[in-house]
Amino acid sequence: MKNKKQLFEQVVAGNLPEKTLFRPILMHFAARYSGHTYGEFAADYHTLVACNLKALGDFDMDMVGLISDPYRETAAFGAPVKFIPEGVPICEKLIVHTKDDINNLKNPDVYKAERTLDRINGSKLYQETLKGEVPVIGWIEGPLAEACDLAGMSEIMMYLMLDPDFVNMLMDKVMITAMDFAKAQIDAGCDIIGIGDAVCSQVSQELYDDFVKARHQEIIQFIHAQGARVKLHICGNITHLLPSLKEVGMDILDLDWQVDLMKAREIVGEDVILCGNINPVDVQNKTETQIFDACKSLIQQQKDRKYILSAGCEITVNTPIENLMAMRKASLENGI
Amino acid sequence: MNQELLDNLSEQVQKGKAEEVAILTQKALDNHIAPDKILDEALIKAMTIVGDKFKRNEAFVPEMLIAARAMNKALEILEPELVKTNVQNKGIIVIGTVKGDLHDIGKNLVGIMFKGVGYKVIDLGSNVTPDKFLEAVEAHQPNFVGLSALLTTTMVHMKEVIDLLKSKHPEVKIIVGGAPVSDEFAREINADGYADDAASAVAVAKSLLTS
Repeated sequence: MKNKKQLFEQVVAGNLPEKTLFRPILMHFAARYSGHTYGEFAADYHTLVACNLKALGDFDMDMVGLISDPYRETAAFGAPVKFIPEGVPICEKLIVHTKDDINNLKNPDVYKAERTLDRINGSKLYQETLKGEVPVIGWIEGPLAEACDLAGMSEIMMYLMLDPDFVNMLMDKVMITAMDFAKAQIDAGCDIIGIGDAVCSQVSQELYDDFVKARHQEIIQFIHAQGARVKLHICGNITHLLPSLKEVGMDILDLDWQVDLMKAREIVGEDVILCGNINPVDVQNKTETQIFDACKSLIQQQKDRKYILSAGCEITVNTPIENLMAMRKASLENGI
Repeated sequence: MNQELLDNLSEQVQKGKAEEVAILTQKALDNHIAPDKILDEALIKAMTIVGDKFKRNEAFVPEMLIAARAMNKALEILEPELVKTNVQNKGIIVIGTVKGDLHDIGKNLVGIMFKGVGYKVIDLGSNVTPDKFLEAVEAHQPNFVGLSALLTTTMVHMKEVIDLLKSKHPEVKIIVGGAPVSDEFAREINADGYADDAASAVAVAKSLLTS
């Protein structure tokens, strides 16, 4: 019997296994499911890994992850980050306001900064526990998202048009740390690196092409050169970016629920593994039967194609356990 | 000549050219164009066009933000003249992201759109408690309150705000929105309206005024 890593490699190769792989993004849900707070989950890799492993076992997922919040690298750059019990950690202060701030920003040693080291250690712990049999997804913040984390979202959104040099300078700097952090996680055992660049859905294709596309390509090529796969995650409706994303080279493309899966397939082609995309609010609020049917429909749409069943974004903390089980059931009963 | 100037001003707002907008606004006043005409036929017109493009995915957040910045530049020049000529706001809206939620970009865009159509916008920021919303309603007597939430864990606080405001000021219309919020949820929590994006919020408000 093939292990989960082998099954994933089969999907990558296009030699599709009998079941549909299942990998919802779990953070707050996984924490509470194991009796922990989100704050504890984000603050300590022991908790994060333990919560994910419990979910892996109980929901028979096909991958585990290290995703927790957007502020690992931001903290490493020197921003104060506060953990709160039942919410996403808060970055208490923006640390980049001027071009001088960018020049003075030092790329951190990801092995010395507490929050980046914590994630690297999480990868090691997964390897010790899972013996390399389950794909482990590391995580880095994408360049546009990290620029927003450091300088403010509204500011960066405006500077894209009013002060392109500012944005380019900042993204050039964060690219170095993104690649350092990706490499460290791969060296620690991650098989896949997720790139979270949520804010890209809020910019036009033209701005994406001008500012982000080449940087995504560069990071992805770098990760591939280190021997890992890449999953690109952009929250929200990215339909307008799909023609550009087709050319960036990720192995897995997460699609949020607003994106038409079939339309995405038509645009990005057959080589990319599409991952998604049932509405997480539906997973929380609808019935088991409705969830099962919705998942079944997605799986049938992607029959004989590279596909991983997931929600469009994170499974919400108040999702009923049986609804997540219904997703898993659909993936087992309606294999590719 | 004046119409051409107003059209040019509108176009520059749409492009987010703040400096040009300031110059053209002053020029329009110097040409004795009435301040309310400048507001209606250039600024509000511009933001309505940008909002419509946003709704059609032809404009995105950066375009909205720089257009709003340019419009604010014009308003800095125009507002003293509007006060002098006793031009009234088209209405007042209090907006905020509910308790526990620090996301503000959607809420800010809603503020931009309402300001763009001539409303006075009282922005309470993010992580706003029900009591703060109540205080603002009592202080400003708005036509509308707009509640935003990005998280499924915080959207539940919208009901607390609505229950409180409806018990004290049933006349105030409450509009909700945000990524996890749906029309169905809005009805469940007794909101008066649901907007699925910032541009729609203004249309929802208009429909509530006429309903």
